[in-house]
Amino acid sequence: MTDTLRSLRGAAFVALLPVLIAVLVIAFGTGAHERIFNLFLINMILVIGLQMFMGNSSIVNLGHIGFMGIAGYTAAILTIPVQIKAKIIPNAPFGLATFQLGPVEAGIVAILVTMVFALLVGVLIVRESGISATILTLAFLVIVHTVVANWVELTRGMRALYGVPMTVNKWILLAAVIAAIFFARWFRDSPIGLQLRASGESAIAAESSGVNVRLLRLVAWVLSAAVVGLGGVFYVYLIGSVSPKSFYFDTTLLTLAMLILGGMSSISGAVAGTVVVTAGFELTRYFESGPVMFGVKLPEFLGLTGFFLGLIIVLSMILRPKGITGTDEVDERWFRHKM
Amino acid sequence: MEYFTQQILNALSIGGNYALLALGLAIVFSVIGLVNFAYGEVIAVAGYAMFGVYVATGIGSALLLLPVGILAAVGMSVALEKVAFRPVRYAPAATGLLTAFGVSMVIRSFFITLVATRSKAVPMPEWLGQRIDLGFVRIQLIQIIETTATAVALLLLVFILRRTNIGLAMRAAARDFDMVRMVGINANKVIAAAFAVSGFLAGLAAIFIIARRGAVDPFMGFAPVLKAFVAAVLGGFGSLGGAVLGGFILGALEVFFQVLLPSDIAGYRDAFVFALVSIILVWRPQGLMGTRHQFGDKDE
Repeated sequence: MTDTLRSLRGAAFVALLPVLIAVLVIAFGTGAHERIFNLFLINMILVIGLQMFMGNSSIVNLGHIGFMGIAGYTAAILTIPVQIKAKIIPNAPFGLATFQLGPVEAGIVAILVTMVFALLVGVLIVRESGISATILTLAFLVIVHTVVANWVELTRGMRALYGVPMTVNKWILLAAVIAAIFFARWFRDSPIGLQLRASGESAIAAESSGVNVRLLRLVAWVLSAAVVGLGGVFYVYLIGSVSPKSFYFDTTLLTLAMLILGGMSSISGAVAGTVVVTAGFELTRYFESGPVMFGVKLPEFLGLTGFFLGLIIVLSMILRPKGITGTDEVDERWFRHKM
Repeated sequence: MEYFTQQILNALSIGGNYALLALGLAIVFSVIGLVNFAYGEVIAVAGYAMFGVYVATGIGSALLLLPVGILAAVGMSVALEKVAFRPVRYAPAATGLLTAFGVSMVIRSFFITLVATRSKAVPMPEWLGQRIDLGFVRIQLIQIIETTATAVALLLLVFILRRTNIGLAMRAAARDFDMVRMVGINANKVIAAAFAVSGFLAGLAAIFIIARRGAVDPFMGFAPVLKAFVAAVLGGFGSLGGAVLGGFILGALEVFFQVLLPSDIAGYRDAFVFALVSIILVWRPQGLMGTRHQFGDKDE
């Protein structure tokens, strides 16, 4: 079996999990489950996008949600109907209030814009290693947030932009998740991904074997931004409105927790982490509201979700610091003896 | 001239606060390589301890509340090390970072559950807000106290680091922890001392944060610690002098942009500050006072 085929088989194997969950949701789920499922798929796209840079280069990235914001806002501003724009952002610069695009064109433009920003920022970030690279990604997030929250003519500031046509459904999202899984797995197993992972272990050893670490990091950074941007576009198409606080630390920490909990060096880890954290989150949210169990009304516990999410993270870091799946893809481990 | 002096004092007191916190982060990082994102919650614990004692006793005196805040922060910081950070001590940096995120979520949610999200007022003595007229400039008393306390705390820390055995061990651990343990120094003691010092600095900073806000809430530590983190990296993460320098530079930058930016773009202040910090970091990736690393070196 060739390497490419093995990667494809592995990706297909991992993609079975979201498909299986989709089957369950369609068979037994209610409307509320479907809403959770849709957001779960979007988080999975974000986490896979984050994995492509962070998992391969081993640089902790706190700025990816900035790309979600850029893509989300671009798509929102381009697709909101002209009549609504005349009311909420009449003075948008570059004549943006005078036309509107369909969701597909707007999505493509949004992702291209995100990639251009990623290229500009990435040139600076890939030069750094370790903690200063992380700080630069953090600075990027803060700068994007500050600009979005203050550029009132373009983004309406802290107030929400609304009126985005809601054009995605669970099928589109599921297809996108599967595509993202295949894309990220192909990237991880490609020569670029392999060399980048080597540089994550030891940049000096990789450089001295002729790996152009900065260039490869830049490629990973831009592709990762594109996938995260796709998540941002789908997010606004799903919710129909957008505000700066959707693209800040809460989302950053949630997706980061999903990835590291699952295991950041593999796509299986990204997928598993998203599933586990979402499940835990929804379960504790249920208890938070004070449900009736065995005829007893439990008290309301505000903050319970955060408590358990935090506890799960701490415990799993202590007990399984490499994440649920460890360093390898699930299929690599399970099928190893046959290779 | 008066305006100018006033702004310099502002920069000193804001920068002093960042310097305390940046130093608290840097001292832990330099010893065990942990980026302690739960540090903001140590501040919140100090705040709630002061609030709790005030509610229980009804005494709003600074003489009672200040030691309570500092003791609570030191205790919390050392306890966190024992319970949460010791098991991940030798794990990669990302593991420690996420553990700290988890710890911070647990503590914050604990306060949300028990004390509610809304701010609780902590009365600060009237005289703290008084202004003193020096003829050419009027200074808020709290700024004087804050700047003085920061200076005293830093001097005390320098004394501990330079003149005591445990301080010597901490400085040595910042260079090469394995070597420190090889010469027979108890690793747990050194690490506990680093966390205790870190907690002390958080407690001290907490007092001034609360004095400014007049209230405590579960999220009060987040923004200051984020800034302190940036300050510490700016100065050179792991370099203790660098953390102090970074704190004061960040404070000065904030005041500078606050004064300089016209009011219609004043909201962009943080974007300017972070952009400038990024430029400095691109120019000097190791931070202003950090030791030079070769491309690809491990962080430690």
